[in-house]
Amino acid sequence: MAREHWSERLQRFDRRWIFLVMAVAVVVPLYFPLGLPARPDPMTKAAYNAVEALPTCQLDPVTHQPVPGSPRCARVFISIDLDPASTPEVEPFYRAVVLHLKRKHAQLVIATTWYQAPPLVERYLRETLDVAIAPAGTDGYAGAPDRAYERNVDYVNLGFRDGKGAIIQQFGTDLRSAFDGRADDGTPLDRIPMMQGLNKLKDFDLIVLVSAGSPGAKEYVQFVGTREKLPMVAACTAVSTTDLAPYFQTGQLVGLVGGMAGSAGYENLVGKPGAGTAGADVLNIANLVVIAAIIFGNVVFFAGRAHRRRGGRS
Amino acid sequence: MKKTVPLVIGMLFGAFALAEFYIPHHQVGALSNEFRSWAAILASSAFIIGGINILQVTWPKIRRREPDWGYKVVLLAGAAVMLLAGLPWHKLGDAPTHPTVTFGPRLPAPAPGEPPAAPAVFVKVPADVTYQIGATVGAGTGRLEVVRVAPGEVTIKLSRRVPGYATLETKATLIERDTITVEGDPPMMWGRDGRVFVWIYEHVFGPANATLFALLAFFVASAAFRAFRARNTEAALLLGAAIFMMLGRAPLGGAISDVFPDFAQWLLDVPSNGGRRAIMMGAAIGAIATGLRVILGLERSHLGND
Repeated sequence: MAREHWSERLQRFDRRWIFLVMAVAVVVPLYFPLGLPARPDPMTKAAYNAVEALPTCQLDPVTHQPVPGSPRCARVFISIDLDPASTPEVEPFYRAVVLHLKRKHAQLVIATTWYQAPPLVERYLRETLDVAIAPAGTDGYAGAPDRAYERNVDYVNLGFRDGKGAIIQQFGTDLRSAFDGRADDGTPLDRIPMMQGLNKLKDFDLIVLVSAGSPGAKEYVQFVGTREKLPMVAACTAVSTTDLAPYFQTGQLVGLVGGMAGSAGYENLVGKPGAGTAGADVLNIANLVVIAAIIFGNVVFFAGRAHRRRGGRS
Repeated sequence: MKKTVPLVIGMLFGAFALAEFYIPHHQVGALSNEFRSWAAILASSAFIIGGINILQVTWPKIRRREPDWGYKVVLLAGAAVMLLAGLPWHKLGDAPTHPTVTFGPRLPAPAPGEPPAAPAVFVKVPADVTYQIGATVGAGTGRLEVVRVAPGEVTIKLSRRVPGYATLETKATLIERDTITVEGDPPMMWGRDGRVFVWIYEHVFGPANATLFALLAFFVASAAFRAFRARNTEAALLLGAAIFMMLGRAPLGGAISDVFPDFAQWLLDVPSNGGRRAIMMGAAIGAIATGLRVILGLERSHLGND
């Protein structure tokens, strides 16, 4: 019996070895980071510039109210449409952009169209708005410190509404009626001073979409963004980047942060490395493993084909 | 009749949704808003119908002990637990919403020439409770603690450091030398923001959801070895683009050479966006055609077969 060619033996390679290598590639960089700088791509830079272009109001250090003569505070709508599975890719962007917005003392209105998201959104609010993300003296952070925001004073959580495209369209025409005129904690929106003049998406200076799928950035572009000419910045999972990139190219999105690499780039621009930067390190090695697997698989494939053409066993 | 009424409703609302884009009148906008509210209510109602449907589909399979019936028991039990945990049971009781504030004896008058004594707030809360007295925020220790505040109206808040508990809040007006004792134990809440629901979400649903997604990394690596072969020119191009994209989108590519990120960006901007745009436009034209068929009553497959 003819001896089996090495390529044929490798064709039956136990894939659990690949799983093991991938597991090592994912875990090791978390403990021994390479620390390579995450270079922001042009779409991420555009997102950063859109936030940077918002007016920065000057606040009284005690009352946190705008001082006379200060530009008015920017008003930003943030739609957090994600689930726990997508948090590694888009949560770092959320944290970085909220720090960026808080540095500009922007007033924030938050909503979600994903039924899986509300407990996650509440946790984000507790961890990023109710307390300072980067108070003065934070290690490794040289930017301006932020402060704790007060619910229904500096930010409003509108909560969750189902209805996919239809409800997003309603955000565009009548945000208050979409949420029955109340914030998520039941406070009437009419009693919240920062909500004065905020009746629809067009009233905001910027729309930030933390979008892990559908409904999300695509629906915002299709149902309200283009129709109302809204300035919108989106963050999405890496796999959705190609879906949304055409909207960035046409200007329907003014910025696009794609996947973990994009989030890491945004963190780099904001000056506070976080989970995105750590994740980008994992991406370095994990992508190399996938590339090695592709090359290895093709070497085995072509060696096997050459062997068969030479008259070897098929 | 069973099909005609839904067909007519579909035609009318479809035609209105289309016409609304071209009629910039406020009354049309208001009517359109009203219809969208109906759509949101219908979408929310679908959750109830979905729940009933799950019961209808899975219960007979459990009763007949069909293959994998055990998983269906887990499904129903999980849904029932989340439903029960998601209802705001705490509203049925009379859980406190304010901390207990008791005025005590006033502090002694200061000696002549000394400044008047600031009001004192004695706080006695459990160790896992955070208190906010005016601008002072502190962590409870279970023992009596003293906070000095300026005279005037003082906001008092007690909250637990873990989510799922109510916040106790009140206000007290204090003058110089007043003393008050603040006590309270924020009660557990039920419902979507309640302790049980949040705990299950964070410790069961979240990790399970993330784990399933994370498995993709392993399957992608395995598929890369087994299936991603340069069998022909198109496959070789795809393979080359994938390698450049993976290197270019990770910081490692930029560290090796600027060529990788720049070429990856070009791939995204030109060939990928071009192809994607063609697909999107094709799909949009298809959607327009299907929409028109629904509005004109030519398309009836969405009404079912029976």
